[in-house]
Amino acid sequence: MGSAKANLKRKASNIEANDPATTVKIAQDSDSEDFGDFGDGILNAVLDDEDSEDDSYSFDGEGGDSDDGEETGSEYDIASEDIPTDDEGGENKLALTNGTTDLDKGEGEGEDEDEDEDEDDQSNYRIEKDANGGIRYVYDEIDPVYDSDDSDAQDPTNTIGDIPLSFYDSYPHIGYDINGKKILRPATGDALDSLLDSIELPEGWTGLTDPETGKPLNLSRDELELLRRVQMKEVPQEGYDMYPDTVEWYTSHVEQFPLSAAPEPKRRFVPSKHEAKRVMKLVKAIREGRILPYKPPEEREKEEEQEDEVHYDLWADETPRPPNVMHIPAPKTAPPGYDLSYNPPAEYLPTNSERKAWEGTDPEEREKTYLPQKYDSLRRTPAYDGFVKERFERCLDLYLAPRVRKTRLNIDPTSLLPKLPRPEELRPFPTVASIEFTGHDGRVRSVSIDSSGQWLASGGDDGTVRVWGLSDGKQQWQVKLSSEDPVDVVRWRPGQDGLILSAAVGEDIYLMIPSTMNPELEQASRAILDAGFGYASNAKQQTTATGARKDPPAKWARPGARLENEGVLLKATVRSPIKTIDWHRRGDFFCTVSPTGQRSAVAIHTLSKHLTQIPFRKLPGGAPQTASFHPSRSLFFVATQRTIRCYDLQRQELVKTIQPGCRWISSLDIHPGGDHLIAGSYDRRLLWHDLEMSARPYKTLRFHEQAIRSVKFHPGSYPLFADCSDDGTLQIFHSKVVNDLMEGPTITPVKMLSGHRVVNRIGVTDVTWHPHHPWIVSGGADGTCRLWT
Amino acid sequence: MGRIKKKGEAGNAKNYITRTQAVKKLQISLPDFRKLCIWKGIFPREPRSRKKASKSSTASTTFYYAKDIQFLLHEPLLQKFREQKTLEKKIAKALGRGDLSDASRLERNATRPEKTGKPRYTLDTVIRDRYPTFVDALRDLDDCLSMLFLFANLPSTSTVPAKMIARCERLCLEFQHYLIASQSLRKSFLSIKGIYYQANIQGEDILWLVPYKFNQRVVGDVDFRIMGTFVEFYMTLLGFVNFRLYTSVGLKYPPKFDENKDNEAAELGAFKLEGNHAATTSSEPAQVTASDSAAQPDPETQAEVNKLIRQMKDAAVEGDRTEPTVDTDEPTDAIDKFEPAAPGGDVLPQPTYSSGEPGSLFANCTFYLSRETPRQSLEFIIRAFGCKRIGWDSVLGEGAYTTNEQDPSITHQIVDRPIIQAATEEDGDGEDNQTSQKLSPNQRIPGRIYIQPQWVWDSVNDEELKRPDEYAPGAQLPPHLSPFVQNTQGAYDPTLPLKDQEPEGEALEDSDDEEVDGDEEEDSFAVKKPKAAADGMDVDISDDEEDEADDTFGGFSEGEKSAEGEEDDDEEDDELRNQQELQAELSGKPVKQAKAGARSQKLEAKKKLVLKAKEEAEEIERAKGMLSKKKRKLFEQMQYTNNKKSAEDQKLREKRRKLEKQKARAKA
Repeated sequence: MGSAKANLKRKASNIEANDPATTVKIAQDSDSEDFGDFGDGILNAVLDDEDSEDDSYSFDGEGGDSDDGEETGSEYDIASEDIPTDDEGGENKLALTNGTTDLDKGEGEGEDEDEDEDEDDQSNYRIEKDANGGIRYVYDEIDPVYDSDDSDAQDPTNTIGDIPLSFYDSYPHIGYDINGKKILRPATGDALDSLLDSIELPEGWTGLTDPETGKPLNLSRDELELLRRVQMKEVPQEGYDMYPDTVEWYTSHVEQFPLSAAPEPKRRFVPSKHEAKRVMKLVKAIREGRILPYKPPEEREKEEEQEDEVHYDLWADETPRPPNVMHIPAPKTAPPGYDLSYNPPAEYLPTNSERKAWEGTDPEEREKTYLPQKYDSLRRTPAYDGFVKERFERCLDLYLAPRVRKTRLNIDPTSLLPKLPRPEELRPFPTVASIEFTGHDGRVRSVSIDSSGQWLASGGDDGTVRVWGLSDGKQQWQVKLSSEDPVDVVRWRPGQDGLILSAAVGEDIYLMIPSTMNPELEQASRAILDAGFGYASNAKQQTTATGARKDPPAKWARPGARLENEGVLLKATVRSPIKTIDWHRRGDFFCTVSPTGQRSAVAIHTLSKHLTQIPFRKLPGGAPQTASFHPSRSLFFVATQRTIRCYDLQRQELVKTIQPGCRWISSLDIHPGGDHLIAGSYDRRLLWHDLEMSARPYKTLRFHEQAIRSVKFHPGSYPLFADCSDDGTLQIFHSKVVNDLMEGPTITPVKMLSGHRVVNRIGVTDVTWHPHHPWIVSGGADGTCRLWT
Repeated sequence: MGRIKKKGEAGNAKNYITRTQAVKKLQISLPDFRKLCIWKGIFPREPRSRKKASKSSTASTTFYYAKDIQFLLHEPLLQKFREQKTLEKKIAKALGRGDLSDASRLERNATRPEKTGKPRYTLDTVIRDRYPTFVDALRDLDDCLSMLFLFANLPSTSTVPAKMIARCERLCLEFQHYLIASQSLRKSFLSIKGIYYQANIQGEDILWLVPYKFNQRVVGDVDFRIMGTFVEFYMTLLGFVNFRLYTSVGLKYPPKFDENKDNEAAELGAFKLEGNHAATTSSEPAQVTASDSAAQPDPETQAEVNKLIRQMKDAAVEGDRTEPTVDTDEPTDAIDKFEPAAPGGDVLPQPTYSSGEPGSLFANCTFYLSRETPRQSLEFIIRAFGCKRIGWDSVLGEGAYTTNEQDPSITHQIVDRPIIQAATEEDGDGEDNQTSQKLSPNQRIPGRIYIQPQWVWDSVNDEELKRPDEYAPGAQLPPHLSPFVQNTQGAYDPTLPLKDQEPEGEALEDSDDEEVDGDEEEDSFAVKKPKAAADGMDVDISDDEEDEADDTFGGFSEGEKSAEGEEDDDEEDDELRNQQELQAELSGKPVKQAKAGARSQKLEAKKKLVLKAKEEAEEIERAKGMLSKKKRKLFEQMQYTNNKKSAEDQKLREKRRKLEKQKARAKA
């Protein structure tokens, strides 16, 4: 096919070559020839190409120049090959003309002869007939002979100017060149196509050249067939059967001879153990009901629906589990009460106002979700509206409500109250003022009853100490100890062996024996007081570190004749004013406290030796207020403003510090049992301490409106204690102290005694209990003492 | 110095977990979590400090105990939930693909308990886990029974499948059968909400509520899915409990269920109890018939036959029938009486079975239920108390001992209709358009006791047959009292006469009132009322003094107040006397001197009372002074609630007093 194409091309180039030739011939031979059938002319020329092949070149080749002519033909050929475009076709034409001129020149001699002949006739023109039959002179073309080998010669430019080419549509030419020659329309694609269509291509033509042979590469018939099959999506190989019949290699035909000569193995004859195992498995599964025979789904569904739940004893092996601490069982709903009855007692039915109130409240705020209702027969009882709702709410409660264990105090509130003894059990306690002891001018500062319970001693602002008969209220004895200083404190010496009264006035302590119409007792008392004089003289003088004589803590002396006659037998003078005196239970020691006395504030005096000791070099916690001996043990309590310190006198060490938590302790007293202590304070508190327990008060009683001046336990068998206050009252408490360690003492307020006048905001200054009776004596700022029985 | 404690590593912060956290931890959806919580009995907690427990800034509402959630993590049900979830996903996917066959195949594997009423999983392990012993399960049976009885009476809807209802009904009936067989029903109460029953099973008191047989109205937003979850659990629970109960009395579980009879509304009669052969060793085949007519093919004809037989030998048959068939199982759990063999030993207290044997209260009766009575509840309760022969109108359903109202063996007929006055004159022939054996509304058959339904309940609660005349048809019924109320000291008790329970002060006021009322009866009513009101006020005051004296500290002032009150009273009395004298003069009657004397006595008593109250108040005051502040507050709180209660009681007493007076006046 490739070769066919090559032929075709060559033909085309022939045509091209012929074309200018013809034009040349036309131009040279017959200008008069009509251009109208030019196309036909070309085609004709092409059609009888084969026979006039030589003619086209030989029409003016003349004679022996045929070789040259052929040469030029080949020259043209090459030229046409090089320049395929239309424009260059025009150039070809020029080249052609040049060629011809060259040709003319090259063969100059022969032409010269012709020219000579022409010149013979007329020199450089020819006479031709024009269209009208007139004479027309046609001059030869002037050859300018540009002597140059200018290769880029000017293209034959179309000189029609700026007019559309469409004007020439109906003409075979498209304009004129510089020489006024028509530029012919180049051959168009249509013409080529029609030409190509008319050419029959050989079978298998590819248009390619075989690079090996250099020949056109044509496809063979088989190859074409292959291509067609591929194109048609058929199997490329001819005769291939895609679906051949199966060849039964292994058939039921029993071959005559075995493939292997080995004997049949034993396993062929013995039943398989493995299979048996598997079968047994299936059998077991069927027996157990794990494999069921097939059933259509509908049937199966029906059966499933019908089959009942399997029930068995779930609690066959129940083991009780201890309840989890964190598990809180749901509370049960409350059982119905009377008012839920369909026929309740009439009093449970709501009145109109109650009904209205119930209906008026928001459903969530109602105490009950229902109103009691009465139906006179069961037949009339309707369904309960909120049944489903209530059950639903219960469900919600069960799974949604946080549960908290709450201890419901379903106890009688009165059981919370302490078991108070009944007032009858608390009796006797003082209730009324039976005797009033009047006589003191100004305040009574201190009162005391002697251990026999017969005598009451009192001391007051008037500087006198008076002794009264407790039973009759008469003054028995009186002594004026000082005219300017008040008697701060009077205390009887305990013990029945003598009747000795001690009183403190300023820095002085007076010990006196009131005359009581009992000479033996007086004698005994005198002996007690006088016993110490011998010691006093022997007492070693103490010296300070510098060797200077040191003041003794106290000076013991006789008070002077006047007082001695009155019965005041002994006087001890300490360094600072004394506020309290407390006797040791044996009557040999007593302690005094003088709050302003700095180091020597607390002094312990020995009566039998007329000796005074200062037990504390330094007392922490501020000025001591009061001090007291323990009723049974060798303990000594010192109260400073805020704390009470307990010292062991034998071992001389601090045992305990008690902190009542008050601002200013006024007085303290120790329970006769020895394990409890009460303290009164100026900030209106009465504090009960259990000495065995904490340093903090066991009870703080605040029943007074003013400062508490004095507190006292009953020294005898009555479980009473009393305090007195500036508000003019005494309060009597009952205190049951049991030996049981588990049970604290029970303190019961029993009585509030009022009667003392409040003078200058001072009410009752001191109280003292009768040793054997539940009587109490109080001394007040109004100058009286009262016996309460 | 100890180790520094880091925040949020111990205590509240660790012990509690919010619901969202819990759901995330378990990797299930919220509804599944809810289900799990319901079944496993997990409930939210209230942490001691919410602030410490919540880690987020927003306030979380629900906290769970972290260990509870840890416990849920090991739950096999979780896996089931997840499987179900994946299956649902697969179905959704198949549907999304348009692969219907695949979807339907998967759908077949899915459980749809809302359709079938039966899930793929069983909850027995959960039940065993929650209730390690049977008694634990019994203890928690209250809610279970109430719920199942409610569902047994619900109409079926899309959320409550009919199958579920049917199962609930069956379980409930089975349970009732056990109660009948073991005679363990103790009390019952007709309330406005429904009927309360109390049974004692193995020493546990179980109380449940059964709605009246009406269509239940669903008010408000009720989520039946939640209730359904509960019911699912409860159904399983009651199934196992029933099994255990049945086997414990030697019965086979489940009992035979006759569907035909059930369709004919036989209810209890649809079951046929059978002895458990493994359990009973008695030679007698322990065939316990739930109803006498259980084996009969046609109740009508059988009733006729029965009647004939009974007419021939009535007394003998009765004797046979009254023999309880279950008593072969009885001796197992009864307590033997230990009598001291020789004197000198300690006496150990034993729980006594009442000689009356509550289970056989109705053993000798034959009941007939008229058609207007609630058959289900009556049948159950009468059966539970030993009655074997209960007949009813055929309208009420299948399974009656007799449907013939004129059966001569009937001893009690329960009637709940009013007496129609006009009908008494007419003959009992025509008007009733029911069957021919019906009697006319008021016709009575001699030798039979006619009673209203309440008689049954009151008899059961008092464990004795009540007087029938109080409960006769048309009679004014005595009030129906709750048997569950335990009377506490001082609380109002409607069964006691008013005089026995009112405090002295009130009694005095009351008598005062009475006299005044008596005097003023002739006068206008308007005069009386303010007076009564004033009295009421006085009562209040004195009561306050008695109980609420704790409010203020000063006892004296109150005493004064009360004294003033007394004086006021005195003045009032004087005025009254004057008025009476005037009236007497006007009407020409002698002045009631005797009365005045009595009044002065009363006044004395009243004064004494006031004094006493005052003293008491002082006493309390004194004691309270010794309490610490904390205890005092507690005390006051307790007194507050007590006062509230006593105020309620007082109100009731007052109302009753008024009513009694009205009654007396009406009589006079």
